[in-house]
Amino acid sequence: MSVRETIYASLTVLAAVAISTAARADGETIAVFTKNQTNPYFQAVRVGADAAAKALNAKTLHYIPTKPDSIPEQLSQVEDVVVKKTDAIVFIPVDYKAMVPSVEKINAAKIPVVNVTDRSAGGKFVSFVGADDYSLGLETARYLFKKLGGKGNVVIIEGVKGSLTSIDRVRGFNDALKENPGVKLLASQPGNYQRLQALQVMENLMQSHRQIDGVLAANDAMAMGVIEALEGANRTADVTGINGTKEAVDAVKAGKLLATGDYNGFLQGCVGTMIAIRSLRNEPVLPEIVLKPTVVTKANSQPYETPIESRACPAWDEASKLGRN
Amino acid sequence: MTDLTKQVFAPRALISGDLLQVFYRLIAALLICLALTFLSESFLTLANVLNVLRQASLLFFIASGLTLVVLTAGLDLSVGANVALSACLAGTVIHQTGSPVLGVFVALATGAVIGLLNGLMVTALRIPSFIATYGMLWVLHGLTYWYMAGEIIHGFPAGFRQIGSGYLFGLPIPVYLMLIFLGIGTMFAQRTTWGQEIYAIGANPVAARLSGIPLSRRLLLVYAVSGTMAGLASIIFLARLNSAEADVGESLTLPAIAAVLIGGTSLFGGVGTVFGTFVGALILTLVLNGMNLLSVNASWQPLVTGVIVILAVWLDKATRRGE
Repeated sequence: MSVRETIYASLTVLAAVAISTAARADGETIAVFTKNQTNPYFQAVRVGADAAAKALNAKTLHYIPTKPDSIPEQLSQVEDVVVKKTDAIVFIPVDYKAMVPSVEKINAAKIPVVNVTDRSAGGKFVSFVGADDYSLGLETARYLFKKLGGKGNVVIIEGVKGSLTSIDRVRGFNDALKENPGVKLLASQPGNYQRLQALQVMENLMQSHRQIDGVLAANDAMAMGVIEALEGANRTADVTGINGTKEAVDAVKAGKLLATGDYNGFLQGCVGTMIAIRSLRNEPVLPEIVLKPTVVTKANSQPYETPIESRACPAWDEASKLGRN
Repeated sequence: MTDLTKQVFAPRALISGDLLQVFYRLIAALLICLALTFLSESFLTLANVLNVLRQASLLFFIASGLTLVVLTAGLDLSVGANVALSACLAGTVIHQTGSPVLGVFVALATGAVIGLLNGLMVTALRIPSFIATYGMLWVLHGLTYWYMAGEIIHGFPAGFRQIGSGYLFGLPIPVYLMLIFLGIGTMFAQRTTWGQEIYAIGANPVAARLSGIPLSRRLLLVYAVSGTMAGLASIIFLARLNSAEADVGESLTLPAIAAVLIGGTSLFGGVGTVFGTFVGALILTLVLNGMNLLSVNASWQPLVTGVIVILAVWLDKATRRGE
């Protein structure tokens, strides 16, 4: 998969250079920037971007730092793209502050750029497409508390301290807690978005808390680590994650995971790329689409069973209505 | 024996000195335990002690092999990436064939081959170990990312998962494995000729070569052991987490190196013990355990970890100065 992608990507670079003066009506090249090759979420964004490009007869070129989330690598990749002058850019900054000068370089080169997933702290964008971490956290926690009947003991496993996604998701969890005074927060500890650390943190928390009814994990990998810890100790609790990864959806179907807040990388990749292409073709776009939060549960997991590779992007009419108003 | 050989081997004859060092090393760990016993009533319970030992085991497996490398004044930066690739390959094999035995074999073999390649770079190509294993780290990351392409392998047979989460006579299985390897590692390093030769190489490579120690073969051995132990760690990892993903190893390398050094092994080679590394792994695990039990605010946790690690090593140095 990856090899094919790389070869395809390098071929499209050559093609883009060769035909850069050709007619622009079709076959635009869109540079898609994602943060890393390890997180399945960004894989979903890339697949979504490819699906949109294919449907609209354009091409994608993927730029992924070899060292996950590397700022210097993304800086130099942006410089490459500015020199190559791809037609448009779909951009997930590895760091929402550090990449601002790069966005300004893209602006100076007059390449239209769509911001996806993490909102950049500066620069000019055609549009922003993302999910809202705060409301995802809020809705997922609300779902858990409803399942618990508005009472019980819960713990929160936080992500990387200081990361925007973790701050917002945990804020959502805490606001849902305020709405449910019967639910008691026993502890809020960092798992750094790592499966192993979440497993160990949960093992430790089980030592000091005899009764844990629910666990809110700030991502799916940590939720799965928590489930392993519970199983290892022969204990049960309702666990929720966030991201809607395939692994988590499988666990929801199997009844091991209560729910996962869907970050919907596929749709973000789709819509972001559609907007980039539409702006090149002077078709109307929206300045911002923040996807409504969806909580994947056993009741609604059916559509998620289709592998992302065989999903289709929605038509623009539908896509433009996906945002919350 | 020539005089030179005697000189090379002389310091190692003082086994009682080693024991004394081991004792001092334990003081920091025991102080942390004492403090936690007062601060949290959940700390000193059988369940939590076993919990801490099981958590320390993963770090110990990686760090124990690494100890031998550091004893030769080398470094293996590829251990974390090694765990990731070994886990992903073994995970695939178990999924495809349904045979945990084959998976275990693949994990150990992958780890060993990576270790041997590191050893060959250091001996045959004479690349400094830091550079050779740093390069290997990237090669392994690259291979793993390419191979996994953002996928996660999850769901292994219940029998296999017992290796990570099972108990035997009330003790977790990883703890048995840790004690076994602690014993083997200590015996190998302290009581065998090869072990003593490894110390000699680290203390003075020139003298070691002149006294007839086959330098290249011993170095090859320590890197292979380090790689194989990473392979073993990957099995425990798979069995405990019931999944394999490309970035599993990234957060493991630095703590493993820290465990070795906190345990008193010198980066300059020739000084240190596998038991010290066990204590080092224990200290790092105790810190996390304690912070979770006491619900230390997430924002303060990195700072607390750093301060305790520095204090632990300082305490060790300070008490030994009085020897």
